[in-house]
Amino acid sequence: MIAIGCDVGSLFAKAVVMDGDKLLASRIARTTGNVASELEDLLSAVVSDAGASRNKVERLVATGAGADLVPGADLCEDGVACVAAAAAYYLPDVQLAIDIGGQSITALLLDPDGDVVNFMRNDKCASGSGRFLEMMSEKLNLDVSEVDRETAAAKGPVELTAQCGVFAESEVITHVNAGASRPDVMAGVCAAVAKIVVAQGRRFGSAGHYTLTGGVARTQAVTRIIRQKLPGTFHQFPFDPQLAAAIGAALLADTD
Amino acid sequence: MYYAGIDIGSLTAEAVIVKDGKVVAARIMNVFPNPVDSAREVMGRALKSAGIGAGDISSAISTGYGRDQVQAAGMAQENVSEISCHGYGAFCVDPSVRTVIDIGGQDAKVIKMDGSGKLMNFVMNDKCAAGTGHFLEVMSRTLGVGLEELGPLALESKKPVLMSNRCTIYVETEVIHYLQRGVSRKDVAAGISRAMAERVVALARRVRPEPKVMLTGGVAKNTAVRAELEKILGARMERPSLDPQLIGAYGAAMLAAKGAAS
Repeated sequence: MIAIGCDVGSLFAKAVVMDGDKLLASRIARTTGNVASELEDLLSAVVSDAGASRNKVERLVATGAGADLVPGADLCEDGVACVAAAAAYYLPDVQLAIDIGGQSITALLLDPDGDVVNFMRNDKCASGSGRFLEMMSEKLNLDVSEVDRETAAAKGPVELTAQCGVFAESEVITHVNAGASRPDVMAGVCAAVAKIVVAQGRRFGSAGHYTLTGGVARTQAVTRIIRQKLPGTFHQFPFDPQLAAAIGAALLADTD
Repeated sequence: MYYAGIDIGSLTAEAVIVKDGKVVAARIMNVFPNPVDSAREVMGRALKSAGIGAGDISSAISTGYGRDQVQAAGMAQENVSEISCHGYGAFCVDPSVRTVIDIGGQDAKVIKMDGSGKLMNFVMNDKCAAGTGHFLEVMSRTLGVGLEELGPLALESKKPVLMSNRCTIYVETEVIHYLQRGVSRKDVAAGISRAMAERVVALARRVRPEPKVMLTGGVAKNTAVRAELEKILGARMERPSLDPQLIGAYGAAMLAAKGAAS
């Protein structure tokens, strides 16, 4: 079955075309103003990338905070269910998935059947979210995609003490003014994000086998530290981790 | 008999001299890197203003960030925490007040005193920008109005918007969305004031505030936040008759006088 999964998050919209469990094409676009028309363009582009035509697509499954904005969606699925479906399908040993999105960090506890036993979401506070990482990078005139390359040159990461994104931003400026190098400040930001994610992951006790999904999981300067600090066995999501919920949505097209 | 209070903060230093419970001199200045230098300078200015010498001060209390060093340098006989001094200062300004809400640029404190002005309990938020002056700074920048215009603008609103977030960063996004949808700035400003007051009230509720509250700190100047606080908390927000910046040093001076009397 050819299905589209479309995940509309707070910062980015993600769309995938899947043939069963095979990923045919994917697209990620920043949402700005007119989300409905941006989604229309995104869906056309991803279908064309897959070499398919829209009428070959049997189902379109939407998820994420903006799921109701997806034009022509056959089904809306909860974001937690989608991340769980993707993690459980490709990584059957995984007991914990930590999804780090633009405006939330969600820890999902999975049973051996891949069902969600429990989950905890922090969407009250931007601390450690994708928006947090983005704000700090912007202050340093870096795009989030450049963070890994930048931090490779870090010699001694600075320590950020503030959890709050607003106060952390001031701290970043203070460190820059005090003469800390950009790689060292950026590495300090990554360590701060990792610390918050680890704290969220630990709320279910021992992590066991775990994976990291969501946009922030693309940044290895963050995931490397999480992997050092979070006990258990890390499993790499086999596709771009930012696509996890969209992929899960497409997988769920087959179940109903 | 003259008594003095010296308050050395991270940005400003204050000295207050009292006689018979009345302020005879008060000085505020920006701090020097060394708290003892700041104390010497600000106290020197206050003494000069009062027309007396250091030897005329019966006793002095230091408070604030540099209070230990100021005492060690022999400029104060005692040092007391800024929370206790702030509470006692507010109590001396208005003895019917038992609760102080102090909202600064980077933090918010709620102080509760007993019937003699002694510190009973306090809570503080310096971890999260929501509910501090920083929140209002970010929002006024996003709205494109001056910080001092935010209150009057909000008071014009008849239909305040509802903010569904607490986090400063997320509320900023909400503000942008409201403006993009063409909601008037006064309605957004009113929503901001309410969101701000809700965070402060959540903090204040932890110490069960009394129905009469003294509101100090920079945010006290925002009339819309003050009105929202009164509405949500069901308490009267008193404005101190003394410059709020001086309350800590005034409380220290009054504590010095009280110590000498007992």
